[in-house]
Amino acid sequence: MEFNPTIVAFLCNWCSYTGADLAGTSRMKYKPNVRVIRVMCSGRVDPTFVYKSFREGADGVLICGCHPGDCHYQEGNYKCLRRFKLMKKYITQMGIEPARLHLEWISASEGKQFAELIDSMTARIKELGPSKIKTVVETLAI
Amino acid sequence: MNNRVNPDLPRELREFGIRDWNECYHCGTCTAICPLTAQGFLFPRKTIRLMQMGLKDHLSTCVEPWLCYYCGECSEQCPRNANPGELMMSLRRYLTSLYDWTGLSKKFYTSKVWELAFIIIFAILVVLTFIFVLPPLDTTLTPQGGVKVNSFAPFHIIEYFDWAMAIVVAGLLVSNILRMYYRVVWQGTSNKVGLLDHIREFWHLIYNFVVQPKFSKCEDKSYWLYHWLLMSGYTIMFILIVVFLPWFQTEKIHPPWHLQRALGYYATIGLLIGLTAAIIGRLKKQEFKFQFSHVSDWLFLVMLTLTVITGILIHLFRVNGMPWATYVSYIAHMAILVPMILIEVPFSKWSHLAYRPFAVYFARLQKSAMTKTA
Amino acid sequence: MRSMEEARIGVYVCWCGNNIAKMVDVELVTELIGKLPHVVVSKNYKYMCSDPGQELIAEDILEHNLNRVVVAACSPRIHELTFRKVLEKSGLNPYLFEMANIREQDSWVHDNREAATRKAVELVAGAISRVQYHEPLDKRSVGINPATLVIGGGVAGMSAALEVANAGREVYLLEKTEQLGGMVSHFDLTFPYLYDADKMLEVMIRRTINHPHIKVFYNTTISEVHGYIGNFETTIQSDSNQEQTLTFGNIIVATGLRPFDASRVGQYGYGRLPNVITSVEFEDLLRTGQVRTKEGNIPQNIAIIHCVGSRNTEFHEYCSRTCCQVALKFANQLRSLLPDSNIYDLYADMRAFGKGCEELYTATSKKEIIFMMFDQQHELPQIIKSVAPGDPPMLIFFREKISGLGLEIPADMIILMVGMEAHPDVKDIAHAVGISICSNAFFIEKHPKLDPVATTTSGVYIVGNCQGPKGIPDSVAQAKAAAARVLATINQGSVHVEVTTAEVNETLCCGCQTCIMVCPYTAIHYDREKKVSVVNEVLCKGCGTCGSTCPTGAIRSKHFTDQQILSQIDGLMKMALKIE
Repeated sequence: MEFNPTIVAFLCNWCSYTGADLAGTSRMKYKPNVRVIRVMCSGRVDPTFVYKSFREGADGVLICGCHPGDCHYQEGNYKCLRRFKLMKKYITQMGIEPARLHLEWISASEGKQFAELIDSMTARIKELGPSKIKTVVETLAI
Repeated sequence: MNNRVNPDLPRELREFGIRDWNECYHCGTCTAICPLTAQGFLFPRKTIRLMQMGLKDHLSTCVEPWLCYYCGECSEQCPRNANPGELMMSLRRYLTSLYDWTGLSKKFYTSKVWELAFIIIFAILVVLTFIFVLPPLDTTLTPQGGVKVNSFAPFHIIEYFDWAMAIVVAGLLVSNILRMYYRVVWQGTSNKVGLLDHIREFWHLIYNFVVQPKFSKCEDKSYWLYHWLLMSGYTIMFILIVVFLPWFQTEKIHPPWHLQRALGYYATIGLLIGLTAAIIGRLKKQEFKFQFSHVSDWLFLVMLTLTVITGILIHLFRVNGMPWATYVSYIAHMAILVPMILIEVPFSKWSHLAYRPFAVYFARLQKSAMTKTA
Repeated sequence: MRSMEEARIGVYVCWCGNNIAKMVDVELVTELIGKLPHVVVSKNYKYMCSDPGQELIAEDILEHNLNRVVVAACSPRIHELTFRKVLEKSGLNPYLFEMANIREQDSWVHDNREAATRKAVELVAGAISRVQYHEPLDKRSVGINPATLVIGGGVAGMSAALEVANAGREVYLLEKTEQLGGMVSHFDLTFPYLYDADKMLEVMIRRTINHPHIKVFYNTTISEVHGYIGNFETTIQSDSNQEQTLTFGNIIVATGLRPFDASRVGQYGYGRLPNVITSVEFEDLLRTGQVRTKEGNIPQNIAIIHCVGSRNTEFHEYCSRTCCQVALKFANQLRSLLPDSNIYDLYADMRAFGKGCEELYTATSKKEIIFMMFDQQHELPQIIKSVAPGDPPMLIFFREKISGLGLEIPADMIILMVGMEAHPDVKDIAHAVGISICSNAFFIEKHPKLDPVATTTSGVYIVGNCQGPKGIPDSVAQAKAAAARVLATINQGSVHVEVTTAEVNETLCCGCQTCIMVCPYTAIHYDREKKVSVVNEVLCKGCGTCGSTCPTGAIRSKHFTDQQILSQIDGLMKMALKIE
């Protein structure tokens, strides 16, 4: 059977979630592999959320926020960017391919970009194959 | 070709009957609804566009106005009441004046004074010729009791007049058709049509002249019939008078089933039916094609009707042995017929008898040039 | 923290007519979800947001003693409030509710029914998992300062200001320049009825200036606004360079537009050819009563070119909505002023929509105006200086779209119908008042159809051309609509504000003060006595950045707690694996 990855996405309420809604109202089609979780700001994305997603079997995690300078809360997206860099290092050490975690700026008007992002990310994750971390963790019984 | 937009042209076209020339906003409904428009010859919209922008050179190479038989469907469906059918009609008048090198056509179309003066002068000339030049009326009757028509209008002399007139008129018409050919085929296709194409497509000219198949494609078929009766009646009568006058204008009264009389009756009835339909239509104004009558439309109908009526009278008076009545109606007949033919055939409405089938022929030539380019 | 009582969840899957039901097997979703623990009822209905849909939930809450509700329907940005109110009416705390977005982010974006249905089940499972950890939150209401700030003194701004002031409320009207009137003060006549713009404006300005409740600040811009609905505050620099602090409860943004810079379209030669002028300059010319070329001659050939800067991906893709009508107005005015001139109108599409405007087009077409169409996207007309003797000074070369012919037009004067674009300083204003701008730099409304003058920031409204290109009647309508909204909140005296702020668990807080460093609103301060951080709930806007920064987990972002989000991840991932 074809590998159908599950991607957990954290979208900020003001830009990216609205952008994703716009993709819907514009009836753009994209791959059905993404599961969106809404947060008020990309700055709210706690590293735990990302690790938890991988731990529960997500094949990819996506974080979207407002473009730099456009944050509804002034600079939450910058904080998110810093954390993202650290998380990348961390998951690599855990044995998760860094490409499984992705950060992208999506504004409220970028429905098209959101749809394209989901398609490209799904394709990337498909190439990587299923994430093994859940099985690893369970075998080690951590 | 001059590609400069020229706002003066629409103003000039007013005199040819164009009104509301700028109402059209090019939705294309007219072209969509037209049963005659076809790939490569899209009308009325495209032609209207050229007219609106005053592109005279482009218009003069246009064959499209002649391909329209004015069923009026486009005008009926037009959302802006721009009356595309009437625009096409007016363009036919304009094109007729463009083809005519003498400039008389334009004068007749745009000036009632010129047209009426021309008619009256030629009518008087005809009357004077009969009174002073031709032999007087012989009031004695033939053994059959008929009037001696050839006494005051000897067929060999009238025949000369007919031939002379036919040659003048045909000469003018042919030269105008050549001008039309030059614009439509020579300029319109940048001289891409070969001799073989001319020969291969020639039968379209004959076929379209005789049958008028394009007219029959219009929604209301009855007008094709009326028009065809009118056209065939006219043509037969024209041939009888010009080519077979010695056989047609006899003093001997043939029985009614004799070909001479049968053809004459057919032509007369055909003309009457066609004329009645057109006159009733123009009076009632219920259909779009009859709503706007230019002076030239009415003048043509009235003169032809009078010609037919006087022709019928000549026949009745002659077979019933009424010499003076025959004499007067014969002169009246000629006084109407001569100016009518002189004006109508080369310069005015009647010229469409030639332009239309030629237009179909030229359109075929254009098409063959187009396929070559493609 | 999970509440003590056992969760009893009602799940409602919406068909949204066919919008969801076409791509998502709602029956199957209802069935699968119904088997999950704590789900007491699982139903689907044609339109959950309709009155009977809402009643269905209200009845079930009473009948089944539900204490949590999940609705799977459209985006929570559209109907979250609707359903929260249902809970409230039924005696439940409105925050014990969660929405799963299975329309905008599912049925509308996928074309595989099986996959879309699966996604819907997982999203709903996540929501169910999350809602169990929802906590009742108390509403917080704040008083409304009855003064209103209007930014921009054009027709829209003045209309809004007058409407609010006429109700007896104070208005501060900020104008960037030294006079009121905005763009309309450039106009000669207005379309479609050709009324005098000056006369209309004069009355409006006089009323505004003399109004006892309106205070106009000229030469004033805004830099930063603090606070929230009902309690905003800003400091402005007034004329005499004195700082003044204003406090107000609502903000109406009416900053307008600016005309497109025609010199950006190189082939039109604006700036190089003296008699190529913009529509704004032509209005000024009309106001002098005499249309003359730069050399002082009466123009014989006048061309009007539409869509300059509009409807072209190179410049602005949008339509500026008024230029076609203004062009028709120009053609009419020119025909009256110069009856014998040749007037050419080159359009890309004639968009004479609106009351009285199609009629204006029809009337204009009877005045010997030559209308022609050009290809706006691929082949813009080219204007060149004519050199041939006897020719008018300029020639326009273009491909006429309907005839397909390459044509030329002689011209003595060419009017460019410049489009509208946003001011370059919109970003600053957006930042100052906390609203967003779209890709065309116009402000974004809260809902394009159902809430067109409000923004996502409570208490901030957008009216007129700063929201998108429009004519005077639309601007005035928006201004008055926003004024009505403002007056309604003032009349209520107080409004409920979001309670999803952050909160510090003092026992867990170690006093590291990291949260204070990341807070963009200085809403957290350090209590030196207790040695813990304290959140000022009035200043906190609930972004949650402190929550994800806190190393000890002492800070909770209400309604977006770690536990809620983690269990949402848990719920949807478990369901995903189960289906596999």
